[in-house]
Amino acid sequence: MSPHEPSPGVLSRILTGGSASLRLGALALAVALLAILVVPRLLRASLPEPLKSFDISTAAPRAVEENTAVAIERDYAHAWQSLAAALENNRSEQLDAGFAGAALAHFQQAIRSQQETGLSRRIVDHGHKVQVIFYSRDGSALQATDAADLEIQYRDGSRLLSSERIEEHYLVLLTPAENSWKVRSLEEIEAH
Amino acid sequence: MKPARVLIFVLLAALGCPWQMQAQPQPRLQISGALTAGEPATLHLAGSGLAGSEKATLFLFGPGGAIKREVQRGDIPLAGDELRVAGRYLVILDGRRAAFFVHAADPGQIAFLAHPSRVPAAEANAVLGAAFLFDRYQNLVLAPLPITFRLAAESGGAAIERSVITAHGAAGVLMDAGHRSGPAHFSASAGALRADRVVEQVAADPCSLRFHAGRADDGNILVQTEPIRDCSGNAVPDGAIVTFVSLDSAGRSTVDARIKHGYAQAELPASNSATLSVAAGVVLGNQIQWKGNP
Repeated sequence: MSPHEPSPGVLSRILTGGSASLRLGALALAVALLAILVVPRLLRASLPEPLKSFDISTAAPRAVEENTAVAIERDYAHAWQSLAAALENNRSEQLDAGFAGAALAHFQQAIRSQQETGLSRRIVDHGHKVQVIFYSRDGSALQATDAADLEIQYRDGSRLLSSERIEEHYLVLLTPAENSWKVRSLEEIEAH
Repeated sequence: MKPARVLIFVLLAALGCPWQMQAQPQPRLQISGALTAGEPATLHLAGSGLAGSEKATLFLFGPGGAIKREVQRGDIPLAGDELRVAGRYLVILDGRRAAFFVHAADPGQIAFLAHPSRVPAAEANAVLGAAFLFDRYQNLVLAPLPITFRLAAESGGAAIERSVITAHGAAGVLMDAGHRSGPAHFSASAGALRADRVVEQVAADPCSLRFHAGRADDGNILVQTEPIRDCSGNAVPDGAIVTFVSLDSAGRSTVDARIKHGYAQAELPASNSATLSVAAGVVLGNQIQWKGNP
């Protein structure tokens, strides 16, 4: 055998015999590789509540990477959970983690006026179908449409004023913050 | 008229026919006005059965507020401040409810993303601009509007301009970098609105590389490039690395030198016969056959 040829026994020793630390190292490497390749796909397969679908196939001019999509799904879902809780409990500080800019200012104002009048809204969220339509080349902004199936109860104190179940259409603008994506604009649009 | 027919007519009149009921519509809520953010609107109950001066409680839920107030039935004014946020509003009055949409006002500000901040001169599709139009209440303006992107080098030369119609309030463009190095002003404008960014255009890779050789005082071979420029004639910035190579009977010698004041120089080991060459990045320069003399 040439001195440059790899020894055929090395791999088999790792797999079948050899030292325990070598086998452990190989196993750890395999698990790490598996995690890098498979976990994002598994996470995408099970979307966080209340998302029903999150379509990144229409993103332009840049494609959304799998890991980025997972992070945005998580943060957008969390933003909706916090919005529902904030509007129901009239607590605007619950918005801070998921919203920024105009969206934060608008919902803070909505909650302030609800506090002043004793009104509230309860959102029963039946799911969102999100479609990414724009992802900037430098990754600093993402725009999406969201068809949300919502049941909204309008309350005056504890009295139910009205209740409706509607499909709301939103245009969403998200931007990355320090360690999460935040909703910067969440504008309801008329369905066409 | 026969008595039976008279009886049927009287019964129908007393009970009310279906077509008679349709002829008298129930009161319903209607909204009139521009339905533009910040503009006032009027809410009124349309149809029969209005009670002119009675009071009622109005509830208005919108994306940026919630209102509860006592109103006189009839025409109910809604102030522009109450409709500042674009989106869907739900109004509830007397147990009736109606929804309406408020649209963004005219553009009042432009959010402009420019990327990257440094770009090689003359590189195709290298400068990205994305602009979002908002009204003065921070609503995204969804109506399609033209945005003009302009990239102009501070040192002169022709500016590159492109107009793009917004879709969903956003417009993006990819532009070629200018040929001259130095700061370039990248702007996005819509009507009277304008946002500016500065993109630094830097010289690209060297276009051609030439060098000469001579004997140094210590006997080594002194090699020096001619001024190094990119294909647009911009001086390649100081600090870029140039590699000189000498190949002779003793083997191969390599020296890396940084560009300083527009050219690079180095000393290669003394040799009576060597092949000298130069390279910078992917660009190869001329070759010199050294025979102890240049």
